[in-house]
Amino acid sequence: MDHDPELVKRCLAGDNSAWEDLLQNHTRKIYSLCYRFTGRRSEAEDLTQEVFIKIFQTLKTFDAAQGAFPTWLARVARNHLVDHYRRTKKDRVTSSLEDELGSLEEKPSPTVEPVAQVESREHKELLQQALDRLSPDLREAVILRDLQDLDYDEIAQVLGVPEGTVKSRINRGRLELARVIKRMEGMRGPAKAGGRS
Amino acid sequence: MTHLELENLASEYLEGQLDVVRRVQVEEHLRDCGACRELISDLQHAMELCQAAEDLEPAPWLIAKIMRATVGERKPTLREQLATFFRPATQPRLAYAVAMAIFSFSIIVNAAGLNLRKLTLADLNPRTWFYQANRTGHLLYARVEKFYYDLRVVYEIESRLRQLRSEPSKQEQEAPKPEAPPGGTTDRKAPGDTQLASVQGLMTTAASSIGAVTRMVAKGRSPSP
Repeated sequence: MDHDPELVKRCLAGDNSAWEDLLQNHTRKIYSLCYRFTGRRSEAEDLTQEVFIKIFQTLKTFDAAQGAFPTWLARVARNHLVDHYRRTKKDRVTSSLEDELGSLEEKPSPTVEPVAQVESREHKELLQQALDRLSPDLREAVILRDLQDLDYDEIAQVLGVPEGTVKSRINRGRLELARVIKRMEGMRGPAKAGGRS
Repeated sequence: MTHLELENLASEYLEGQLDVVRRVQVEEHLRDCGACRELISDLQHAMELCQAAEDLEPAPWLIAKIMRATVGERKPTLREQLATFFRPATQPRLAYAVAMAIFSFSIIVNAAGLNLRKLTLADLNPRTWFYQANRTGHLLYARVEKFYYDLRVVYEIESRLRQLRSEPSKQEQEAPKPEAPPGGTTDRKAPGDTQLASVQGLMTTAASSIGAVTRMVAKGRSPSP
């Protein structure tokens, strides 16, 4: 991550391998962000590509003095996702989760037991469905904080709002998320709900 | 501390960001309030679910696709554009096409009788082209016809044929018809023998004429009658 400004310089000088290195370093993060926002694999792939095309076109506007490259990248991605959300608002069915359980592309751990693996999948599905039910403002705050591990000041930079607002949104988002998860676990059955620690 | 105040501080409490005074107040409230304890427990569970979620792995072809969409489809330089434009010029097919075009053009220009060095406005009229082509065609036909009749062999053959046609009629006219003796023979040559000798002479002359014409053609001269 520390090499990002150097890679950006090389990219601007026309070094394609530097651009490939940047993609290798950050595609996973941006793809996860897009997937958490949309809940659809194909849509997340398209959005990831669009985000990086935008990044490639505006790379010369990146200023390392104003913030880290991942923060700038997350801001561009977030703005693009918000634009996309507004554009597709009419077409979207909020509760839909297009991909099947098995299509979640997280790397399976070879040491995980099959039963634990199924449980893990269920938790991921539950989380994604719960995130889909949040309002966009709260969802993006929770995703950036709890899934992308950004600091409050970084989230404030990405969202372009004061840090106090960020804290408030994260708190409200988490509370809403907790309520949704509890409700969904209750609907799935007491056995699964009781399984949590 | 009220339920609402605790709700507002819940995240900061779980992240350990509250100062000591606030933290003690929250803990005191939680000791007495089962609903708020449940809320904090649910919140903690949600945060644990989020933290347990790993980054998702994108499809393996995604980076290659992005590379193609960005670096791979960059605008080619002027040099590359020129190289692409002139690449067909290096193909033999183009040379054949150009040669055929020049050949066809020269045929049209010759048939139309155009003089490219002294091109006038009238030469651009298709009617003139048609007239000139028609004239050139007739001249060429006349020239070929003249060449054919000027050939020595043709001349010889024709004259012999004329001679052959005229001989029987002369003989009929000049010689009185002898009365054939009954049962006797005559020592006069039959007309068939004369004709055979004439054709043999004709063949010899034709062979010599063909040889002469071949030599003249090889030297590039036109034969004289």
